[in-house]
Amino acid sequence: MNEDHDLKRTDDPCSRVSRRGFLESVGVGMTGIAVASNLSAQDAEELTEDAEPKKLSLVINGRKHMLIVEPRTNLLYVLREKLGMTGTKPGCERGECGACTVLIDDKSRYSCLTLAFEADGHDVTTIEGLVHGEKLGVVQQAFLEKDAFQCGYCTPGQIMAAEGLLRSNHDPSDEEIREGMSGNLCRCGAYQHIFKAVRRAAELKKEEGSA
Amino acid sequence: MYLRPTTLDQAVDALEHHRAQVLAGGTDFYPALGERLPSTPVVDITAVAELKGISVHETFFRIGGLTTWSELLAAQLPPCFDALKSAAREIGGVQIQNRGTVAGNLCNASPAADSVPPLLALDAEVELVSIGGRRGVLLADFIVGSRKTLRRADELLTAVIVPRVVENARSVFLKLGARRYLVISIAMVAIVLAVDEQRRIRDIRIAVGSCSARAQRLRELEQFLTGRPAQARLDALVMPEHVKSLSPIDDVRATAAYRSDAALILVRRALQMCAS
Repeated sequence: MNEDHDLKRTDDPCSRVSRRGFLESVGVGMTGIAVASNLSAQDAEELTEDAEPKKLSLVINGRKHMLIVEPRTNLLYVLREKLGMTGTKPGCERGECGACTVLIDDKSRYSCLTLAFEADGHDVTTIEGLVHGEKLGVVQQAFLEKDAFQCGYCTPGQIMAAEGLLRSNHDPSDEEIREGMSGNLCRCGAYQHIFKAVRRAAELKKEEGSA
Repeated sequence: MYLRPTTLDQAVDALEHHRAQVLAGGTDFYPALGERLPSTPVVDITAVAELKGISVHETFFRIGGLTTWSELLAAQLPPCFDALKSAAREIGGVQIQNRGTVAGNLCNASPAADSVPPLLALDAEVELVSIGGRRGVLLADFIVGSRKTLRRADELLTAVIVPRVVENARSVFLKLGARRYLVISIAMVAIVLAVDEQRRIRDIRIAVGSCSARAQRLRELEQFLTGRPAQARLDALVMPEHVKSLSPIDDVRATAAYRSDAALILVRRALQMCAS
């Protein structure tokens, strides 16, 4: 009973900012600036559930976003609900399935297990950040070529895990690919094709590098 | 209440004044939370820079509590850490290794925590800090049971200290799970083995996890093997009575009898790998 009450109370201000913030942010990438001035100055270290949400600046796909979020908000929620970047998928939301994988400073991370505040001062890359205009990123291209999905729900997470792997290791062995992709589950069982796609992506990256 | 200190002083001060849960990597914290909001204040220590990183000192290695498994894997460390690195590679997938911390794995104190047997085999000590000061506790004493440790609510596990006594010893970690990746251990073994000039066993530490409420060393077997030549067929010396001190349980992953059997076989294999 109390829990329900708490949930509602603390969620309210956030979703209010979220809807308004989202409308304001479309196309300008500056969420919630208008409500920032309503906030009283706060102790930087102390953030309470009852206090107003706090200002946060995130660099996502090279673009800076100013946000106002509750400190307990995870990155997955901010990406999808506050910025409308729904390429990143919620799956288990407990760090098992990998659907929510993004890169933070080029390392693959579960955005469901990352507080938005933790990403402050770091570079976040999402699936949206891999496209260059209309041109797909090489990992996306490789997933298409190798038909590396069935239902497609886990695919953005798989692609981000592959991207993270290939950024740290340009020429992964078969074993390294299996290990690097082990944090992402596919309920359709498209693993064989996913594996081939990662190998293909490594080739494409190499060609791209030498071109 | 949610607090995000940026220094160790602020962090222990927060723990002193609030009955709070500590949030580090969050890989145990969030799943345990499920859909609920935290019922206690939360002290998020991820911004405390002084808890990160590995440093080498004259007589010991110091692994900061917030060091992630990926950071540990990337660190230049002597062979005695190979077992710990193997365990780090088995902790979840890459995303979990990029997130989960050494301190978190120890404080969570799961009987199946992968890092515990290798650290027990390194005679590791944990450093606990509160506003009252700093104290060191042997890891073997720190974990007292399943999900129970000696950490007081006002203390933070700031570092793991590994003495520099068997640096060039060989070390091996073997884990048995129901599949190759992303799996909770059925049984696991870590061995650190140092030899003298005649290739006799000078110092040997054998730790087994997932086979008792807390991972434990097989002290009798260690004594039995010390001084013997490190050569082929060393594994044949290990008998079922040597793993009698374990107290495995039946659970969803395996039966107690299967675990005992698995532990014995893993000890033999790991020993053979270290000796050859």
